[in-house]
Amino acid sequence: MISLNDCDPGFKFEVAAEPGGAGIKACFACAACSARCPVAGHREEYDPRRIIRLTLLGRREEVLSSPLIWLCSACYSCQEVCPQQVRFTEVLTAIKNLAAKAGYAPPSAKQIAGLLAGHGRLLAVTEFENEKRAELGLPAVEERGADYAAILGIAPEAAEAGEEA
Amino acid sequence: MADAGRHPNITLLTGSEVKSVKGYVGNFTAKILKKARFVHEDQCTACGDCAEVCPVVVPDEFNEGLSSRRAIYQPFPQAVPSAYVLDIKNCLGHDPIKCGKCAERCDKKCIDFDMKDEELEVKVGTIVVATGMEVYDPTVLDEYGYTRYANVLTSLELERLINAGGPTQGQVVRLSDRRRPRSVAFIQCVGSRSQKRGNPYCSNICCMNTIKSTLQLKEHYPDIDLKVFYIDIRAFGKGFEDLYRRSRLEGAQYVRGLPGAVREDPATGDLILTVENTATDKLEEHRAEMVVLATGVHPPEEMHIVQEMLALQKCSDGFYLEAHPKLQPVDSATKGIFFAGCAEGPKDIKESVTQASAAAARASRLMSPGRLLVEAITAEVHDEACTMCGICAKVCPYNAISFDKKSGRPAKVNEAACAGCGTCAAECPASAIHMHHFTDDQINAQIDAILEEDPHAVIPVFACNWCSYAGADFAGVSRMQYPANTRLIRTMCSGRVREDFVWRAFQRGAPVVLVSGCHIGDCHYIDANHWTEKRVKRMWRKMEKLGLRPERLQLEWISAAEGVRFRDVMQRMEELRQSVSAQELAETLRILQEEADRTAAKRETAA
Repeated sequence: MISLNDCDPGFKFEVAAEPGGAGIKACFACAACSARCPVAGHREEYDPRRIIRLTLLGRREEVLSSPLIWLCSACYSCQEVCPQQVRFTEVLTAIKNLAAKAGYAPPSAKQIAGLLAGHGRLLAVTEFENEKRAELGLPAVEERGADYAAILGIAPEAAEAGEEA
Repeated sequence: MADAGRHPNITLLTGSEVKSVKGYVGNFTAKILKKARFVHEDQCTACGDCAEVCPVVVPDEFNEGLSSRRAIYQPFPQAVPSAYVLDIKNCLGHDPIKCGKCAERCDKKCIDFDMKDEELEVKVGTIVVATGMEVYDPTVLDEYGYTRYANVLTSLELERLINAGGPTQGQVVRLSDRRRPRSVAFIQCVGSRSQKRGNPYCSNICCMNTIKSTLQLKEHYPDIDLKVFYIDIRAFGKGFEDLYRRSRLEGAQYVRGLPGAVREDPATGDLILTVENTATDKLEEHRAEMVVLATGVHPPEEMHIVQEMLALQKCSDGFYLEAHPKLQPVDSATKGIFFAGCAEGPKDIKESVTQASAAAARASRLMSPGRLLVEAITAEVHDEACTMCGICAKVCPYNAISFDKKSGRPAKVNEAACAGCGTCAAECPASAIHMHHFTDDQINAQIDAILEEDPHAVIPVFACNWCSYAGADFAGVSRMQYPANTRLIRTMCSGRVREDFVWRAFQRGAPVVLVSGCHIGDCHYIDANHWTEKRVKRMWRKMEKLGLRPERLQLEWISAAEGVRFRDVMQRMEELRQSVSAQELAETLRILQEEADRTAAKRETAA
């Protein structure tokens, strides 16, 4: 049973205030998103409509700490069929941003952030790539870790920690 | 329909198109194009011999293309008048080599290939607009597979199949194998309640139509398995809830959840629907031998033709806008024109009949006295002052001003058609139009009185009678606090506010001026407030050119229910007023005086 005393009625406004999150309050629970979602077809626990309902109810901790919110494949099928323009893929990005701020980002997300902060891209450019680039007459790629980290607002140590993880 | 066809006081013009409507309430003249039927309808007995010999076969529109008809045909069995009609586009023609079989066959010789389109001119007192609706085409909703899968039908197609007079004599069959389906799934809200694809509104009739269809199917085939996938079932009318209950008791299963996709099992032609049942919280797959899409309705595309012809307004959803949603639900804003049926919004048969009866009563109430009382607030052109520029005729939302440059005669206001908004008087560059009861002198006197003492301390507000003035009133009766130095000047419409009124206020030392009216689209004079907007924008440009702060003139839309908005606007106006310094006011007076001198000098040299 859900006790309404444990719910945070402000949570939906928080999500709506995030970029892309504004549509969430328009949901009328027709469940077309869930019926269309390819992920839901494989993982029964993953249910877009349920995530929206829980958010509207204000189940802040339950939503943000849930590993399910990271399962979205961002195929935008839900957004296509939604009659009320909830834009669930974007709503979920808003929820994931809030979850990351609350420290619930999964290790894989942290790792990706670390790679970005360390190399400015999702892979390290090694001597091998630079040699190939030289053959094609392209300038060598310089690693400017400090700059990337500054842009992303992640301390270099954290970035390295992410890389190790 | 047959009753209307037989009534001595009703003239039915079928296959006809209204080409133009001129005039005003009590004196409309309609030009009607009566298209050639090629069959003398007073002689035809609808025996059907002609259709028997016709060699042309085309899809039958009435049966949604599920059956065929001939080029000479009766649109549907109960059609009025009960006579055949020749579809000249598909007919092979009256050339003995090509065809002409029907004319040979007809014993009464009532087929006439030489019949011509006729143009009629009809004088009428009132007009009822009943342009109806069209059914939404679900082909664009790709996930349901309509037209891709043979066994996905629309509700209208099922309607024809289940009808005893339909293409299958009431036998419901699948289009893929002509076998009776053992299970049928209905999908609700197809093309309705969607902000993105289809219509944003609820189409009003689909829920009950589906419920009726489930009962009909159960009556025909008690063993049939029925499922209805819905978002909300809206059974709001008299007896509707009972019908819904009966449908459930008969065994139709109602599943709350919209299917995300329909796919076909190619081996059987059956359809598989993936849906999240929100009652069980589980993703379910349902199999059905036939899927029926409960399609919504929308206004016909050609509605704008009638709209332009009769100076009507449309709502955001595309249907015609009534004069008042509660108090005048069948009247249009133009006097003498009424709405019936789906022209005004989606509705079922009962509601359409109710509205049609109301429209007929409203029309006869207007016509039976033989004369018409009109509001005394109307415009009048001073012939000697009119410069014959024609602007008044252009801006009049009611086409109440007749003007023809070639005739060399001044513009003339038709008082029966004039609603008294005053837009013509405001736009007339020669001040040649006099508004009864809201004269320039009266309004000028109010401006002068308001600004007689301490003009820097007050906020003159021009408020339209229907929305903004009522909004201010609402703020008052709701005991809202708004700046006490607000001074309201009422006009019938914001379109009445002449540029001169605003300049006069600034010349008399007004720090700020507010012009307010109904929201765009809600204007009580069709679209007169568009002219207000244009005029204020023109004044802003002028103010900028003169070196005055344009924000000192404000334009706000405030409706009669927006007391809070009125209060907020007035509080903003007060802040704005306080930002105007004594120095700025003195400067304004100097600039406007110079401008007035310049204009006077120009006029003198011109003279």
